[in-house]
Amino acid sequence: MNDTLSVKRVTPVQGMITSKPVALARRKSKVSRELNAVSAVLAREITLFFKSPGTIIMSLAMPIIMMGMIGGNMMQNMSSGLGFQLGEFMLVGMLVNMLFMTTTMGMATLVDDHETDFNQEMLVSPVSRYSLVVGKILGASFAAIVSMAGTLIVGLIMGITLHIGQLLLILALSPLICLSGGALSMILIGLIKSKKTANFAVMIITMPQMFLSGAIIPISNSHGALLVLSRLMPMTYCLDLTRAVVYAGTPEYNSVVMFNPLINFAAIVGLTMACLIIGTYFFARTEKNR
Amino acid sequence: MSLIEVNHLVKRYKGANVPAVDDISFAVEPGEFVAFLGPNGAGKTTTISILTTTLSLTSGEVKIAGFDVKHEARQVREHIGIIFQKPSLDPNLTAEENIRFHACLYGMCGYRPAFKLMSLAYRRRVLDLAEIVGIQDALFKPVKKLSGGMQRKLEIIRSLIHTPEVLFLDEPTQGLDPVSRRGLWDYINDVRRQYGTTIFLTTHYIDEAENVDKVCVINHGKIAICASPDEMKRSLLHQELILDAEQRDDLLDELTGLNLSYKANGQVVVPFSGTTAQEVIAGLKTPLNTLKIHEPSLEDAYVEFLHITGGAIQ
Repeated sequence: MNDTLSVKRVTPVQGMITSKPVALARRKSKVSRELNAVSAVLAREITLFFKSPGTIIMSLAMPIIMMGMIGGNMMQNMSSGLGFQLGEFMLVGMLVNMLFMTTTMGMATLVDDHETDFNQEMLVSPVSRYSLVVGKILGASFAAIVSMAGTLIVGLIMGITLHIGQLLLILALSPLICLSGGALSMILIGLIKSKKTANFAVMIITMPQMFLSGAIIPISNSHGALLVLSRLMPMTYCLDLTRAVVYAGTPEYNSVVMFNPLINFAAIVGLTMACLIIGTYFFARTEKNR
Repeated sequence: MSLIEVNHLVKRYKGANVPAVDDISFAVEPGEFVAFLGPNGAGKTTTISILTTTLSLTSGEVKIAGFDVKHEARQVREHIGIIFQKPSLDPNLTAEENIRFHACLYGMCGYRPAFKLMSLAYRRRVLDLAEIVGIQDALFKPVKKLSGGMQRKLEIIRSLIHTPEVLFLDEPTQGLDPVSRRGLWDYINDVRRQYGTTIFLTTHYIDEAENVDKVCVINHGKIAICASPDEMKRSLLHQELILDAEQRDDLLDELTGLNLSYKANGQVVVPFSGTTAQEVIAGLKTPLNTLKIHEPSLEDAYVEFLHITGGAIQ
């Protein structure tokens, strides 16, 4: 069969169905359909990323601001007496922070979809709401991984390097970290209908995570309310797990890593699932219950 | 079994004093073309939103293709297609990318990152539909660069790509020019003929409902009437003869003598029912210089109906 079709093919009479159109058969397997839906939503996000120069520029500018300016300034002024290299500590923190922050910003585009009524198109389709949300999070993760790569480059310029093995392990953990950040952001963004509020919500979600989870400032001496808050934040466990991977077998391990990696992993999975269920419920509910 | 069954449906929005939809019931048979008419704020879009599972109901029961919209929403979505009142396209994607996204969500084909990589069946279907609706030249342009009419046509293609059993059209021709409107309806009628697709339409262009099987009028959240367009016209309006003569006074005397009521503003308008125009004219001897038969339109009947039942919601 000839598998090529010309886009400029012409049919005889416009406005009439002249022959029975080719029927498209639905996929039978439910799992296959859900995975296909996740891929479609994910692919849309990646397509939109490449069509938006602003997003690309922002994904690359953020590492310069976060790692280059904030990180650089802290390294110059606060690195003494810690018992470990602040540069490496902060680079790992910034990598995780970038994954969280950029994924959250990507999730905020759900509000754009609400404004253009594109959410309606998604919600009226016969696929699970979880597939839509997971696809959206994974799509937002793409920009996050670009930002992570930018952070590594900035780190390299600043003289902070990681081994290839460490990098690959961080890359392997990054989908879990993005899923965690995206699921957390769904709780707020799923409820929001205006772009202005969404931008504010991104700040509300990302800023406390950055400062209380130990991304740039060690939290081993935190106590009281700040300690409780830090333990409630999924990013705390994402960071600790990533640092456990990076610092494994090094003398600094005990000064830098707070929990057993299994505890971190369980906490991430538990918090992510809880956030995903609550956030998806809010998202579908606010679109439907008016 | 009816394809759409609505029983005692009620929808009350949060904080609203009165329900937007107030205990309505109706049924739509497979293959029927139903127009759901009503003034602004009457409850049309609320009803269609509930039927398409995008809005929750307050009470009552709605079944589409035998599936309950509340408990079996996913199965309902498998059987329906919808064109929303406001376009629901992604303006940053191309027309084809919007269709591809939809086709993948509906499980019609596996996602591939480029049109050329999609299945042959998909490509053929998209190109066929694009040519029929007349947007083949715009298929690979970003939606934000397409006119409102083009976007509407694109939505039609998208809603038909999974060959739904029921197609919900919520004011589908709003903002379209007359040529586009006609083209769209030609196509929708062809789809209906070919596939037996059931169509549930809301519109403010009453002429679009002239050829439907059934008209349901909703007003103040309640179904006011459900009948065929002919039944609706017959129950509300009469045919009219429009006459005039050089000797108009003689004509009017004759009409009075025949016990026929008339209005004489500009021309002489004689409503008639239970008789034929031929019988009326046969009784007249005055030479006529004007003779026309006015068939009431569905719009005339609709406006009359709203007038009788308390008018439109303001």
